[in-house]
Amino acid sequence: MKQRLILTATLAALAALAGCASADSTAAPTGPASFTPAPQNDAATVTVWTDSTRLASVQAYQKSHPDKKLNIVTYDGSADGSTYLQTKVQLFDRTGSGWPDVVFASPTDVTWASAPTGPNAQAFAAPLNQGLVPQPTLDNFAKGSLSPCEFNGQVYCLRNDIAQVVAWYNAKLFKDFGYAVPKTWQEYQALGAKVAKEHPGYLLGAVGDTNSHESYFWSSQCPAFSLTGPTTLRTDLQDPNCTRMATLLDSMIANGSVSKEAFFGQNFAQARGSKVLMAIGPSWHGQYLFNAAFKTPAGQIGAATPLAWDGDPTVATGNVGGAVWMVSSHSANLKTSTDLVSWLTTSDENQAGAPTYPAYAPAAKAWLANPKNSQYFASDVSPAFQAAASAVWPGWSNTRFSDATAWSSVVLPAVTAGKTLTATLPAWQTAIENEAKAAGYTIAAR
Amino acid sequence: MTRSLRGGQAGYFFVAGYVVLLVAFGIVPTAYAFYLAFTNDRGQFTGLNQFVKVIGDYRFAPAFAHVAVYLVLWLVLLLILTVGIAVVLRGRMRPGLSATLRFLYYVPGALAGVASVLVWLFMLDPSVSPASGLLRALGFDTFSQVIAPENLPLVFVLIAFWTGAGGWIVVMYGALNNIPDEILEAARIDGAGPWKSALFVQIPMISRWIAYMAILAFAGGTQLFVEPQMLQTASLGRLDPAWSPNQLAYVLAFRYGDFNGAAAVSLILLVLGLLCAGLLVRRSGLFKVDA
Amino acid sequence: MTTNLSSTRPARALGIGVVALLLALLVVFFALPVAWLLLAPTKTASELVSAGPFSFGGFGNLATAWRNLTSFEDGVIFVWLKNSAIYSAGSLVLTLATSVPAGYALALTKFRGRGLLLSVTLLVMIMPSATLVLPLFLELNKLGLIGTVWSVVLPFSFFPFGVYLVYIYFATSLPAEMLEAARIDGAGEWRTFTAIALPLARPVVALVAFFSFVGNWNNFFLPYLVLPSSQQFPIQVGLNQLLSTTPSFNPVAGAGLNITSPELALSIIIAVLPVLVVFLFSQRALVSGMLAGATKG
Repeated sequence: MKQRLILTATLAALAALAGCASADSTAAPTGPASFTPAPQNDAATVTVWTDSTRLASVQAYQKSHPDKKLNIVTYDGSADGSTYLQTKVQLFDRTGSGWPDVVFASPTDVTWASAPTGPNAQAFAAPLNQGLVPQPTLDNFAKGSLSPCEFNGQVYCLRNDIAQVVAWYNAKLFKDFGYAVPKTWQEYQALGAKVAKEHPGYLLGAVGDTNSHESYFWSSQCPAFSLTGPTTLRTDLQDPNCTRMATLLDSMIANGSVSKEAFFGQNFAQARGSKVLMAIGPSWHGQYLFNAAFKTPAGQIGAATPLAWDGDPTVATGNVGGAVWMVSSHSANLKTSTDLVSWLTTSDENQAGAPTYPAYAPAAKAWLANPKNSQYFASDVSPAFQAAASAVWPGWSNTRFSDATAWSSVVLPAVTAGKTLTATLPAWQTAIENEAKAAGYTIAAR
Repeated sequence: MTRSLRGGQAGYFFVAGYVVLLVAFGIVPTAYAFYLAFTNDRGQFTGLNQFVKVIGDYRFAPAFAHVAVYLVLWLVLLLILTVGIAVVLRGRMRPGLSATLRFLYYVPGALAGVASVLVWLFMLDPSVSPASGLLRALGFDTFSQVIAPENLPLVFVLIAFWTGAGGWIVVMYGALNNIPDEILEAARIDGAGPWKSALFVQIPMISRWIAYMAILAFAGGTQLFVEPQMLQTASLGRLDPAWSPNQLAYVLAFRYGDFNGAAAVSLILLVLGLLCAGLLVRRSGLFKVDA
Repeated sequence: MTTNLSSTRPARALGIGVVALLLALLVVFFALPVAWLLLAPTKTASELVSAGPFSFGGFGNLATAWRNLTSFEDGVIFVWLKNSAIYSAGSLVLTLATSVPAGYALALTKFRGRGLLLSVTLLVMIMPSATLVLPLFLELNKLGLIGTVWSVVLPFSFFPFGVYLVYIYFATSLPAEMLEAARIDGAGEWRTFTAIALPLARPVVALVAFFSFVGNWNNFFLPYLVLPSSQQFPIQVGLNQLLSTTPSFNPVAGAGLNITSPELALSIIIAVLPVLVVFLFSQRALVSGMLAGATKG
């Protein structure tokens, strides 16, 4: 470390003596980017990049629109902090061709896709409010759900789903054990101690997923990723809102009522899926985790409103993902591309049966009314979903780097190795700040 | 060696195709890397600033440290085991058994690259691994415990050894085979046992090939990319995306569009690789060129 | 070997025992993963966890895995295999066409710059090639080759190790006098090469072909960078794509796909099959090639 410092200092001194130019890259131009559409051809093939979950939806569009030519490619869907899409678009920007027309992506991707990647490039995402998607349609999206898409007054994507965090519980197990569903985090913690004693092995949650921090720390209003300006990030993990969640989880991890493993880990479903009493997680956990992965029978799973903190009047919750669809500004067939993303995000035909909760309000109504959804759950989930949707804490910003990277590569290995979350907070803080600086942010004072 | 060489103009004709490729894909990229590493994206000369920048990057020291640990483990294991096993296989053993063993050690080499990583993802996952008993006995109950940061260099060494060692055992065996029987016989008459004759006769006589193996293994080791990149995907991001220097260069270039910084990292790797190779070449007398 | 008088009997027995144990452990280490891999596609994903690791599942499962794998993106795995074949074969032809004459000329003709060329070749040979991939990418981009077949085939064709092998071979096993005789007989340089040198070069051609093919088939970094579209991927990059969309490793992205562990195992087997076949017949080639690589006649 010391040697490195000396080496760096020496090199810096040498460079300064030589009077050389700065090594910093040219800052990406800000402000509304010019958008010059490619020559349009309504019959051109539209290349769609989708994750495999949404593959069926795209195929359904193809079936109901046999005249449109689609080339469907599956990729990782930018899940878990993957930068596949970003690196490929960098590549296409250099080669000047090859962009997919329509992509399924994470909100993080919109941060870079809405700005050019280099001096000669055009921002990848097309501003959809510029005559592509009618304003009334945009207005119908749930309040705030398009905010990850909005930059400089333009709308660069359509939100596929919102992923507000609720308190999932297994109503049957709660009844069998004679427990009441907790309403506050303190009750949650107390229940954990009780479960650990009376029914060891049963779980109230897990922290090992790439997005568990969004379920827990976001819900706790922890200022981990707060943009105080367009390029200024404030991170303070020693804030009481962070430490209270870390302490709470540490105690529950210690008594075994919260697992260090991942719900979506390789063999979690087989080994412990039937022992999940509760899960603090996004709206899509219902169909996705309990129904598809854990294969929990219908009529057992319920959703409760987000947990509150004793003595804290604001009820806030987190958000886990909630993917978006973007149309490429380079597309030669903007018409079909736009039609496809509109159909995918707003049509009842597609959204009513989607595995995730639609961001488009009318489609969300259809989703809740769909017997497939209502029949699976033990009780009506709409009150919890609607309450949570309006309680998503706005202080967790959508940054140019994924909030999952530091959590997965720094915090989770430490927790797996037996360290407490409380003890890992400083390392997490450093990792976030390092990433932020590398992505061009300045760090605000805590 | 005296040899009358002829040809003149024809020589140029014969090497022309190769020289075009050499210039295009060996010399130009190297020169381009130098150009990039000493300029910024506006084409201004930056002196050593790009190097200062990347060395000061928070991912630089960890990435090089990771690979350093990996290289030490990998070279030690490779040198000791391949040479040791080749000596044993060349020694007192039925030829059929020796050939069978060499073949078994050598076959995984066909699964180099991506395939080997995929296989080892299964081997290191206690829930499906045939060695799950061993993994659990070592205290690993989940895949995420196996790929804890401190284990990663060892994990990559295992993968590299699995695909690479067999080939080198076969090669070292071949090298030992080239030693005339009379020399071994003489050693035996002088009273050297199998260990002594291995240490003082056989191994010194194949030192050139050992040095050659070390160079290639070192050069390969500094280039670590596929293994951490795939493990990162498979473990859902539990690895630093810039675990190895090559990954750092990749991240700089394709995530931040900073090809100049990436070139600086590449050049550092290149210089390190060439320095070590140069050292070994000088010490072992490999590649003497008669011009 | 005769009895070793310098060590006592029990010590020797112990030594042999330790060595035998080590050899056996290595057999386990090297061979068991291969055996496991070959059996994996015959089982279902849950049998892989529950059944014995070396049990045989059933041909029905194998057929299911095959169906699931080949229906992934309408059989894109065949496209990947075809791409790999094109890239490897194309560059193999170019490699042989350039490296054999070059090695011959370096060994048996005299021209200005011969020593320099030889030294540069050696230098490039031990240079870690992955470090050049990024500038190479930019260069290919300037040439407008990114995304084309040539962006992979041309860099693959540059194979200094092959040139060096041919050089060593001709320098050591083709007497210059033979060529001299041919030249005196009035054969031109080209005829001397094709009529005398080439027929003798068959072993070294096979050797270069082996190393070039195996290396290129398994190469990941360059195609990963320069080929943007999944329709152009070679199988190695395709496997990575398959992995990232596989539920067992990426449950969030992979839900709804039939690509699970058995399909992944099957895809590995398919991907390495050509190299495996080459490998089974080339142990000797490897030895002579590598030994030649480190020696100098």
